[in-house]
Amino acid sequence: MTELVQVMILGAMLGGVYAVMAAGLTLVFGVMRIVNIAHAAFMLLGAYLAFWLFTRFHLDPIAAIAVVMPVLFVAGMAVYRLLFTRIVDSHRHVEMTVLLTFALALVVEGVGGSVATGIYRTTTPEYASDAIDVGPFYLPTGQLYATVLSFVLLGALLAFLRFTRTGRAIRATMQNRAAAQLVGVNVERISMVTFGIGIALAGAAGSLMSFLFTFFPSQHWQWIASLLALIVLGGMGSLAGTIVAAMLLSITAGVVSNALGPTWSPATFYLALFVILMVRPQGLFGKKSEM
Amino acid sequence: MAEARPHAPHRTGKLPAAGSPARALALVVVMVALLVFPLLQVATGGFNYWLHMMLYAFMYIAMATSWNIIGGYAGYISLGHSAFYGIGGYITGGLMTFCGISPFVSAPLAGVLCFALGLPLGLIALRTRGPAFIISTIALLMLARLALDNIASLGGADGMSLPLTDFPARTAKLPFYYGMLAIAAAAVYTSYRVRHAKLGLGLRAIAEDEVKAEAAGIPTRLYKIIAFALSGLYVGMAGGLWGYYLTYLRPSAFLQILTSAQIVLMAIVGGRGTVAGPVVGAILLVGADELLVAKLGSTELNLAAKGALMIVVLMFFPEGIVGTLKARGRLPRALDWG
Repeated sequence: MTELVQVMILGAMLGGVYAVMAAGLTLVFGVMRIVNIAHAAFMLLGAYLAFWLFTRFHLDPIAAIAVVMPVLFVAGMAVYRLLFTRIVDSHRHVEMTVLLTFALALVVEGVGGSVATGIYRTTTPEYASDAIDVGPFYLPTGQLYATVLSFVLLGALLAFLRFTRTGRAIRATMQNRAAAQLVGVNVERISMVTFGIGIALAGAAGSLMSFLFTFFPSQHWQWIASLLALIVLGGMGSLAGTIVAAMLLSITAGVVSNALGPTWSPATFYLALFVILMVRPQGLFGKKSEM
Repeated sequence: MAEARPHAPHRTGKLPAAGSPARALALVVVMVALLVFPLLQVATGGFNYWLHMMLYAFMYIAMATSWNIIGGYAGYISLGHSAFYGIGGYITGGLMTFCGISPFVSAPLAGVLCFALGLPLGLIALRTRGPAFIISTIALLMLARLALDNIASLGGADGMSLPLTDFPARTAKLPFYYGMLAIAAAAVYTSYRVRHAKLGLGLRAIAEDEVKAEAAGIPTRLYKIIAFALSGLYVGMAGGLWGYYLTYLRPSAFLQILTSAQIVLMAIVGGRGTVAGPVVGAILLVGADELLVAKLGSTELNLAAKGALMIVVLMFFPEGIVGTLKARGRLPRALDWG
């Protein structure tokens, strides 16, 4: 029993990190109907950037978020400007965005991989190997920091969307693009900013993953498959759904991994995807029309 | 499939190739040339490299053409088609290892099993109209990879070796050459027939506007599922034969997203939704890849180059070579297969 609770605590903590990883993905889909297959490639880019800052300048990976996020925010806006402004009114839009981001992921992986090589990396700040005991349970310090930061980031994102003018414009665009345009929202600019925010969130998640996991360039395929499964479960484009789905899946994956071995934990995500498609294709929080 | 419909004779009735003797002749010439080409190897023994390249190209022609049925005609992008490739390879490999059945016999079976597997998968994955399908194809690939990495009796991540063929070295590649040629020819013929049948028309209507297609009485769900299963058929066959050709099966070689990327890229470069497009794309890219690998080596940069090429084509020639030429009325008649 203690073991099960321990597993579930760890799962819930990791779930917070998954939520940040997927938040940008779901936001970008919600606003622009872009399924960003390259999202996890940018996440790994963030992880490599954090790794480089850590080994070269001894910058703590958590502090590195302050560097990684702005860099990737700008990179994201540039990518949007270059690739997506042209095809925004294209016929078969979703299809095009998928193919474009798929190609983009290949480019990021290829260039990143040739610079960083295929060696497995991880950052090793001191807290990454510590743990705190709470009663019969232990909380790995690195994971604890990552979870707390994840919730800070998610809170900041929600507050930004709720209380700022840009945030309200983003939500308006999410709800109804044409109507938002009618009331004077510059949807093109909002789309670019949203894409930047999405990629910046991927970068922040990458900095966090740099001390939680070992990573290598082609790993982003595994990540994107899990993250996409997660946002389908949550209902694509719904932030609340994404957070709930991240928690649910992470805890389930933890229990599965404990029972069957860690190799099967990603299978939880994929199987959950097929189950949700059979039972409730629009996801937990999704609206039917959006699929 | 091709019922004669008096009010739409060009779509569903007579197949256009029959009306063009020049094209029929060209086709016969190409087929005969491909059939007798291996005689050069038999006579001189110096053409093994060419046989290898050609059978490799046949394989990708078959796969890109197969993919095009769901990805091109119906407009449902699958990024996980290498799952069928790997599963096909493991079916023939398993039958070879455990039952002693030659992959030359079992490759068609592998294709049929992949078709059968595509039906329930399509039933689930195609429940939604939007991006969830694409996502589930990636998940399918990852799941297949995970399973094969961990099934010990099939060798797990180490894979398994298949016995070598006992053909003499000089002619060892010939059966594979003819096998892949047959698979490619069958794939192109199937794609051609689908394109000119009611099914193909329905699929194109789905690609244009699924809601309207449904309103017009097209059984969209059924058509999509058939298209998805068909698109797995020849990929499974090709994988089934390729495993035996390589003499080993390994999840990391057969269940790569890169194989999917190649297939998708070929169909896009050639022209999605056209019959000739994937054929042209496969030949061009297999050739280009050979030159690139010779120059750059099989590196990460090769991957980046593929991605960059895909972006350029998508942004500037989204209809691909065949589609663009056709739109401008410049497509050679020999390649105008509909």
